Amino acid sequence: MANTKKVKERVNWPITILLIIGLITIIFPLYMAVVIAFKDPSEMTNDIAGILSLPSTWSLDNFIEAIQVTDFFRSFMNSLIITVVAVVVSILIHSLAAYAIGRNMDHKRIFKWSYYFIIAGMYVPFAILMMPLVKQTAIMHLDNMVGVMILYVVFYMPMNMMLYTGYLRNIPIALEEAARVDGASTWKTYWKIIFPLMKPMHATVAVITGLAVWNDVMTPLVIMGGQGVNTLPLAQMNFQTAFSTNYNLAFASYLLAMLPMIIFYIVAQKQIIGGVTNGAVK
Amino acid sequence: MAGLSLEHIGKTYPNGYEGVKDFNLEIADKEFIIFVGPSGCGKSTTLRMVAGLEDITSGTLKIDGRVVNDVEPKDRDIAMVFQNYALYPHMTVYENMAFPMRLRKAPQEEIDKMVHEAARILDLEKLLDRKPSALSGGQRQRVAMGRAIARQPKVFLMDEPLSNLDAKLRVQMRAEISKLHDRLGATIIYVTHDQTEAMTLGTRIVVMKDGVMQQVDTPAKLYAEPCNLFVAGFIGSPQMNFIDATVGEAAGKVTLTFGKNTITVPDSKAAALKAYKGKVVVLGIRPEDVIEEHEYAEGKTLTETIDANVTVYELLGSEAMIYGDVDGGSISAHISATNPVRTGSRIKVAFDADKIHVFDKQTELAIVH
Repeated sequence: MANTKKVKERVNWPITILLIIGLITIIFPLYMAVVIAFKDPSEMTNDIAGILSLPSTWSLDNFIEAIQVTDFFRSFMNSLIITVVAVVVSILIHSLAAYAIGRNMDHKRIFKWSYYFIIAGMYVPFAILMMPLVKQTAIMHLDNMVGVMILYVVFYMPMNMMLYTGYLRNIPIALEEAARVDGASTWKTYWKIIFPLMKPMHATVAVITGLAVWNDVMTPLVIMGGQGVNTLPLAQMNFQTAFSTNYNLAFASYLLAMLPMIIFYIVAQKQIIGGVTNGAVK
Repeated sequence: MAGLSLEHIGKTYPNGYEGVKDFNLEIADKEFIIFVGPSGCGKSTTLRMVAGLEDITSGTLKIDGRVVNDVEPKDRDIAMVFQNYALYPHMTVYENMAFPMRLRKAPQEEIDKMVHEAARILDLEKLLDRKPSALSGGQRQRVAMGRAIARQPKVFLMDEPLSNLDAKLRVQMRAEISKLHDRLGATIIYVTHDQTEAMTLGTRIVVMKDGVMQQVDTPAKLYAEPCNLFVAGFIGSPQMNFIDATVGEAAGKVTLTFGKNTITVPDSKAAALKAYKGKVVVLGIRPEDVIEEHEYAEGKTLTETIDANVTVYELLGSEAMIYGDVDGGSISAHISATNPVRTGSRIKVAFDADKIHVFDKQTELAIVH
């Protein structure tokens, strides 16, 4: 008994310390954001205590004002539409492309090179593409939400492609052969067998693509900036310059923007973690 | 149900490797054909060509009289059972079995009827709502069978369906498959590397080696009259004894001599050996036809005895195997469990001369059985 107790109590100190440091770097700014968001601007003095102390009264005034100033609900809907469409289209197109390429790249050169071509997209920084894209989208009348959605689907293709083709190797080829003998066409095999089996990867792709799209400022800013159509991060940008001194308002709006993602994570936590680890082990 | 005809079927891979060479076989309706051979002999490739999962490089494949070389697997009306079962993990047992019929847009009542019928035959009725991950190996195997039989195809193809099961279950499923064949009256092509499975299941067995068909025959015929050294060694466990021997003649009789031992060949077999006089041939004899002196009384009276030195004794339960050295070779023999012979014993054995096989040393073909 004594022995088992000892084993149980052993602590991996280096890891624990690293985790604690990591935790602090996340908790501390979050704490700051929360307390400042609830404070009245008059409580913001120039010393440390003015920033770090708890608010004297927990007031929602900042949030209400931030909602009005950023036109929160419209911006929120825009963000939501862009994110959902980008994620759904990404899952459909990227998994389909990965199936075609992943299953053929071992014995057909054209598929192998198209794989490398798409993956190479990961190494092209957005800054280089930015100005040409602004021009292009404007010419093609895609300087709107649709254009932004299309761009996201393209931008996240390399990464998702890599994830899907990697996962595809876990799915035994015998399943597809069985489906072929059972009478399935290639499309049916994909749709009825492969697509459902890639579910863990769909979860991973949804989280990675969804978070990145939701938080992205640059793409909507350069493509559809100045047209009065805002996404949430974009609304905050405008707002930030207009109220550069009012940190209370800024932080309140940041928390509001974070909220949907946090709620999404709490609700889908089990599936996300389950999906990711399932994918790793299987 | 239907017959198949494989005419000059060949498979050459892009790198020039010939997986299957000039394979010819007529399979009648309701036959249970076994493809057997060591790994890499082309048996699975041949099966996959019949299924349509591999292209046929040369030759003609007919199912029910129709040439199907370029017909998609789904249009060949075949069902296949895979070695690793290939059950769809995200579907229940019911859905797995219904899937082929759903793809053919069969009416729901018919699907329901067929699935339940198959489930009843295979004793899967209680498992229909389970996912494959919640099944044992034997149950998965039965579901794979069920998926194949539910839609009543023309031909069943089975690619080593029992090799992932443990020994006991394998014997049990072997009997099940045999029963299933009688019951369904189906044409089955079955691939295995296990010669016991081949012997017990098949109506005819195709023995293959290095992509070349060696012999096609009924299990009994294959066992009694193997056409060459490979088949003789492959069929039967433990395998046939092979000893190099010189053909000679003594007192007007043909003899086989190895070391200081000589065996007189019975007249029925002598004629074929006359041409080999003075040459070295391979003498083959199955372990059960090697008789140890304690067991003479049970069999014939045998005169030409051979001295042997027992090196290994294996008790198998009701009987035992002995392995020993004789002058000019080594020998294995079946003995009864009550026989006092043990490792280290010096014994006398005799060959049942009516059961000897003789093979040409160069061509490895059988000269006489």
